[in-house]
Amino acid sequence: MKNIAESALNVRGQTQYIDDLPEPAGCLQAAVRLSDSAHGRIIAIKTDKALALDPSVQVITGKDVPGVNQIGFNKPDEPLLPEHEWEYWGQPVALVLAKNRETARAAAKLVEIEGEELPVVTDPREAARNSDFILPSRTIQCGDTEEAFKHCAYVIEGRVESGGQEHVYLETQGAMAEVREGGKVFVISSTQGPSGVQRAIAQSLGLPMNMVEVEARRLGGAFGGKEDQAATWASLAALGAWISKKPVKLYLNRHEDMRATGKRHPYSSDFKIGAAQDGTILAFEADYYQNSGSTCDLSPAILARTVLHATGAYKIPNVRVTGYMCKTNLPSFTAFRGFGAPQAFFVIESAIDALSQASGIPVVEIQKKNLYREGDSTYFGMEMERVRAHEAFDRLLEKTQWHSLQAEISDFNHKSRTVKKGAAIIPVCFGISFTKLPMNQAGALVHVYVDGSVLVSTGAIEMGQQVSRKIATVVSETLGVPLENIRVERTTTLTVANTVPTAASTGSDLNGMAARIACLEIKKRLAGKAGELLGASPEVVRFENGMIFKNDEKTELSWKDLIVKANEARIDLSAHGFYATPDLFYDMKAERGKPFAYHVYGAAAVVATVDTMRGTYDLESVSIVHDIGHSLDISVDRGQIEGALAQGLGWSLLEDLRFGTDGKPMSDTLSTYKVPDISFMPRTMDIEFLPEIENPATPFNSKAVGEPPLQYGIAGYFAILNALRAANPAGKTFYSIPLTPEKAAGFLDGAEV
Amino acid sequence: MTISLKVNGKPIKVACNPGDVLTDVLRNAGFVEVKKGCGTGNCGICTVLLDGVPVPSCSLIAGRADGHEITTIRGVEAEAKEFADFLVAEGADQCGFCSPGFTLNVLAMKKELKSPSVDEIKHYMAGNLCRCTGYEGQLRAVVKYLEAQHE
Repeated sequence: MKNIAESALNVRGQTQYIDDLPEPAGCLQAAVRLSDSAHGRIIAIKTDKALALDPSVQVITGKDVPGVNQIGFNKPDEPLLPEHEWEYWGQPVALVLAKNRETARAAAKLVEIEGEELPVVTDPREAARNSDFILPSRTIQCGDTEEAFKHCAYVIEGRVESGGQEHVYLETQGAMAEVREGGKVFVISSTQGPSGVQRAIAQSLGLPMNMVEVEARRLGGAFGGKEDQAATWASLAALGAWISKKPVKLYLNRHEDMRATGKRHPYSSDFKIGAAQDGTILAFEADYYQNSGSTCDLSPAILARTVLHATGAYKIPNVRVTGYMCKTNLPSFTAFRGFGAPQAFFVIESAIDALSQASGIPVVEIQKKNLYREGDSTYFGMEMERVRAHEAFDRLLEKTQWHSLQAEISDFNHKSRTVKKGAAIIPVCFGISFTKLPMNQAGALVHVYVDGSVLVSTGAIEMGQQVSRKIATVVSETLGVPLENIRVERTTTLTVANTVPTAASTGSDLNGMAARIACLEIKKRLAGKAGELLGASPEVVRFENGMIFKNDEKTELSWKDLIVKANEARIDLSAHGFYATPDLFYDMKAERGKPFAYHVYGAAAVVATVDTMRGTYDLESVSIVHDIGHSLDISVDRGQIEGALAQGLGWSLLEDLRFGTDGKPMSDTLSTYKVPDISFMPRTMDIEFLPEIENPATPFNSKAVGEPPLQYGIAGYFAILNALRAANPAGKTFYSIPLTPEKAAGFLDGAEV
Repeated sequence: MTISLKVNGKPIKVACNPGDVLTDVLRNAGFVEVKKGCGTGNCGICTVLLDGVPVPSCSLIAGRADGHEITTIRGVEAEAKEFADFLVAEGADQCGFCSPGFTLNVLAMKKELKSPSVDEIKHYMAGNLCRCTGYEGQLRAVVKYLEAQHE
């Protein structure tokens, strides 16, 4: 049974996103003046022309911020509005308010930034050469790579590039703010993290957090883009409301959003891999130059996930990996589904491909030989439990009939001149938990009303992943109450405090557990009362489908009656649940510990064809075997896998985020930045789930599903690379994504790309 | 200037500037079920039916709709509800922001094409971007919805 009421409303256009909400009386519209070069010193911000446009126009700059002009919490390097220097092209420099949006935008264009241009760096390696890092580098080491390389039959080095990726959440960033009675600030924000937004607003307005209320309704997509970076827009709206004393709405258009906000981090990396004659990987080294952009933002946590996923799904005994956070004059790159892991997966898979090329051992043989096994320890000392790498990989080989498929492809390529085929597999092993340990906590508030209906509030933001539906399922199963009696409310800082963002695939794990704990507490109280009414001990009382059972026998007592009786007996029908993921630890000095509650496993195979004249390609099929645990909602989880795959394929093949060497954004509209459309997707998509497995860290043995499948898209790159090699065996391999048709054509022509 | 539109069967008169696009005019008049995605005619989010034909309303100067009939998702309530159930069943409802435009285009396709093949469906729907579903669930929903219409 499904709780589809809210979903059906979405489809029918009845959900109110930020820009659809009725505006409070007197609401002003805000626009931002974005910088129009990548780096400069502010001499003066001239507002005369903007103010002359219309009497309703107000211009607000950094010096007007009443509190601390700073919203960076991992490092104080992010002024809400800069007072001295702008650091990327598209940075908000002034906030403009007016009676309507057109006037605000027109006035924003008239704000003049008088400044002195400063040198621009866009290449992370150049920043590294200048030692311009956001924070110190991070190295994880295990065994002795140098010694191990001496004993390897093959040692290969190479370079890997991966591009940035724009989120293209279809609802752009926005917020609506008003100052209410007593100077209390109320903000509705399109954010994954209302508590972070609340903190940023409080700090910039100089208020205690209890004077700021932030509410998040359903988001029109987020994918990480509204984890940290929603704070800017909400804080600006709040600043506008605070200064103008009127409600203010700020809603970016696509062009502004694509210029001003961060995206997935581009990486440039070096690897060195060493293996024995039989393909056993003995040593791996990598240096990751993360293009962090202009500020710290979430870069350290993202880099953490990179260095913690350096060996992909493989056990490698000798490892040395180092990550550098390189400061550049580009928008501050930020969280995006996968959070630094896809970049690491692409490096290790490139290294294995290079090893295969050098040794002649097929990639799949190297992959299979080196997969994690039960009881293995990772290079950071985490003992792997319930490992399913082989289970997923072997099933995929069987399902795709991999060896005969290879023979068919080679036969096809022998006969076909203008179209060539290629296939590739990627195994995935993805750690679940926030890499920043203190973030692995969640709270939930559950009320049972006297009519028996249940209301749940958690920190989980609904943004399309149907986390509300999953939490409702957890509550329904825990309380033994039908789903239609349960309502999961939007998140506000009033009901649940100090929430972590809904991110890192942990939304339903953490918030589901917190809701379950609250429900168990209420149930314990109710079982006492039910026992009393039924003349039984509470231990033999059971709740199921709205009825109360005694010794497994259905009684006359219903949930609704019990609630009335419990209320009359003055029993508390509300509870707050709190969950902190147990057994996590990490020693940052030693770089050893257990940073993840568990891992999600899987494998994907992609078959592609390339037009050897044009370099264009088609994705023929994708087959996936995925470890989903006990799914709380199979259609939702399938939808998550399909959506993640599309984003992974988009990142690997199509989405070409470009900046000029002067830092100018070159792909800042949907006409210049291409995301997958329906015709881009593989012709057939086959997803199979591994059997259920115990997973004590989550409600009902479910598993997180948001991010792990994004990695599957990387197989698209290698499938096309293999097809290109069939067309031009002398082609020079480059490990650079996205592998656009332009680059593919370059490979066919023998160009160095 | 003032233009006359018939929106979801109801005649209205709205004031607008000559350069205003239809999305903004409709939203300002309270039809916020028409969402704006890109503003450049690339994503299909803002699709409405103009005399029954799907158009990206962000790329249509409102004045050109003067005297015409506009259908938004709210004008096809019963059909939208029916199609919504198929989307939800396939895990393809997700964030919902693209759904109104997508659904209107599906309904237009249903009228225009008799028993379209999967390739024809893909061709028809290629202008409707979705960032959540990877299209696979949407495609299943469309195929099953169209099949159900024939039964």
